[in-house]
Amino acid sequence: MIARRHVLAAGAAGSAALALAACGGDSGGSGGGEVDGEGKTLTMWLMQGTNASADTYIEELKTAFTEATGATLDVQVQPWDGAHDKFVTAMAGGTGPDVAEVGTTWVPEFADAGGIDPLTEDIDAAGLSDGMVEGLAEAGTLDGELYGMPWYAGVRSILGNRDMLEEAGVNSQPESWDDLLTMITTLEEHNSDWISFPVLGASIFPAVSFVWGAGGLIAEEQDGQWTATINAPEAVEGLSWYADLALKHNASTAAATTWKETDALAAFLQEKVPMFISGSWTPATIRQDNPELAEKLVAFTIPAKDSPVAPSFLGGSLMCRFTETQEPELAFELIKLVTTGDFATRWAEETNYFPGTTEALDEVVAGGDELTGVFASQMTEGGKSVPVTPAWGKIEGAKTINTMLGDILGGTPVQDAADAAATEMDGFFSE
Amino acid sequence: MSSSTILDERRQDGAEGFTPRTVPLGRRLRRGAAPWLLLAPGLLVLGVLLLWPMMRVLNLSLQDYELRNLLRGDTNYVGLENYVDVLTDPFLWKTVLPNTVGFALVCVVLTMVVGTVAALFLNSLGTVWRSISTTAIMVAWAVPALTGTYIFVWLFDAQSGLVISTLDGLGLMEAGSYNWFTNRWTFYGIATINVVYHGFPFIAVTMLAGLMTVPREHYEAAAMDGATAWGRFWNVTVPTLRPIIAVCVILSTIWDFKVFVQIYLMPGGDGANPDVMNLGVWSYTQSFAQGEYGMGSTIAVLLTALLLVISVIYIRTLMKEEEL
Repeated sequence: MIARRHVLAAGAAGSAALALAACGGDSGGSGGGEVDGEGKTLTMWLMQGTNASADTYIEELKTAFTEATGATLDVQVQPWDGAHDKFVTAMAGGTGPDVAEVGTTWVPEFADAGGIDPLTEDIDAAGLSDGMVEGLAEAGTLDGELYGMPWYAGVRSILGNRDMLEEAGVNSQPESWDDLLTMITTLEEHNSDWISFPVLGASIFPAVSFVWGAGGLIAEEQDGQWTATINAPEAVEGLSWYADLALKHNASTAAATTWKETDALAAFLQEKVPMFISGSWTPATIRQDNPELAEKLVAFTIPAKDSPVAPSFLGGSLMCRFTETQEPELAFELIKLVTTGDFATRWAEETNYFPGTTEALDEVVAGGDELTGVFASQMTEGGKSVPVTPAWGKIEGAKTINTMLGDILGGTPVQDAADAAATEMDGFFSE
Repeated sequence: MSSSTILDERRQDGAEGFTPRTVPLGRRLRRGAAPWLLLAPGLLVLGVLLLWPMMRVLNLSLQDYELRNLLRGDTNYVGLENYVDVLTDPFLWKTVLPNTVGFALVCVVLTMVVGTVAALFLNSLGTVWRSISTTAIMVAWAVPALTGTYIFVWLFDAQSGLVISTLDGLGLMEAGSYNWFTNRWTFYGIATINVVYHGFPFIAVTMLAGLMTVPREHYEAAAMDGATAWGRFWNVTVPTLRPIIAVCVILSTIWDFKVFVQIYLMPGGDGANPDVMNLGVWSYTQSFAQGEYGMGSTIAVLLTALLLVISVIYIRTLMKEEEL
């Protein structure tokens, strides 16, 4: 360990020299590399499966980076499975990349552990601090420091099968929970074999939308101390309403108690499900797996109790710089190149996610179809993050909220399940 | 190491006080070094792959060690606090331990019974059919645990799995009406079928190898004395095969105690449903999902200790002194 720190110190000295050398020019806008990276190599991690045509993108990114800075770029694509462990081991062993795509919910944890750098100063200096998509910036900010540059985001809304909805005569945006319930009961009455609205036990993101939609929160921060509020009256109201769809209105199936979002998508692809809560990236998958169904897609924003747009979990990735990098300047040039300008817009278009800057977002929405518009308004009006605290990593790891959902769908009274979850969460917050 | 070598040699020579004078030190060391030299590659591999990680886990189990400590490379010793925490947690006694021990017990018994029956069956077959059948059951063994588990998850899928479709077709149960994975008993029922299915071929083949070494004369003599088939099995086969049975039972116990993949990959088995957690999954989720490496290591150490105790008891009861 000690030996490695020495090497790092030497590396830091080297990059300080580089920074001095780079002082001559002001680091400009996107891709305007003033840093001389001649003969150097940067490593970058991207997550697998986000972009179906990632290969071409990566090749062009490499060329553009070399043109801008003279440095070589080595892109390594990482599978999501076990990615968290891989990041952690890489940070511990000093075998990490210089720049990596990091999922929003992991940023606070890695930042707190000291694995990734705060980028606030660099971002301010580059004039990029305005015009970020708020939910992403919020997710990447811990103790006032922004730990990554927003890259792309996705949000969940309701995706429907037009044929099935029209057959039952319900195909309009629900303006409130009451509207949504009417839609669901009508669908159920029309054909009780349909899984009118799957209530997922193994994914927390559809559920939290209803907690937020009732005015509740998962947890609240006051003077730097987080307290769980998942058992407060508003949150419990939202959870009860969502769970009752399965428990009282028979809109779901017992199978969905252990369903993840991918399982619901599979059932939707088999046209057993008229509508479900789904990510903004799924229409692309559906287009690939069932092109006929893709023609029949409609989208609605998830309604709140009394309004058409509820807050919905905004997930995505930030481009982060590993603390151990020996080329911080060069690494930031790469982050700029990827998260702004052409490369940002292209990534969003190819992946069906939304870019991390408002400017690029407007561009994508303007060029997109109706579905894109619905998801975009859910994101801009309702995009919301889970509690931004290092403890969230543990809550996610302990599956506290999943357990609560499973218990509720298994018949435990909502208040009891929520109290148990709140106790467990408070335990993590106070550690 | 070298001092114990000399002691060993003294004992072998059987003449203490005499040996050192006749054999010069250099030769003694050389002679003593020879076995260690020959053992060195094996010991080195064991040391690097087993001993070092074990010491590291033991060391971690005495610390409150989190992601932060891992990244900064610092230590945070807390003595036996983790052990106290784990051992006083009702979750261990009410859920995790019963799940682990009960499940292992059922699986070991079932695996042994099914494996032995399969072996007896194979032993009664002619060469051709025996090879065909052995190959067939070896396929079950060759299937990776991951693939096997997914197959069982699909079979028992609550909405469209083969089991529910069949029951639905027979009019016994409606598809999508019950989720097998949410109930502790049905969850472990499915896991048991999976583990036994996956584990019995090894037992069957090992037992078959043993059965084929039992001299035919023993059975003939027993038959002459009027022993029934059961009597022949119990009084001839079992005693002869006892060392093999012991090894099979110990191995199965170890495998079934530390079963992880087969539980973790089932819906709800990854920690989302605490009712079905076992020691392996608990250790994993503590370490890698929550970053409590110290606590995870403590659980792993306890699992190892439990297995050691069980193995010692088994060896003591199943093997006679001279077989050890």
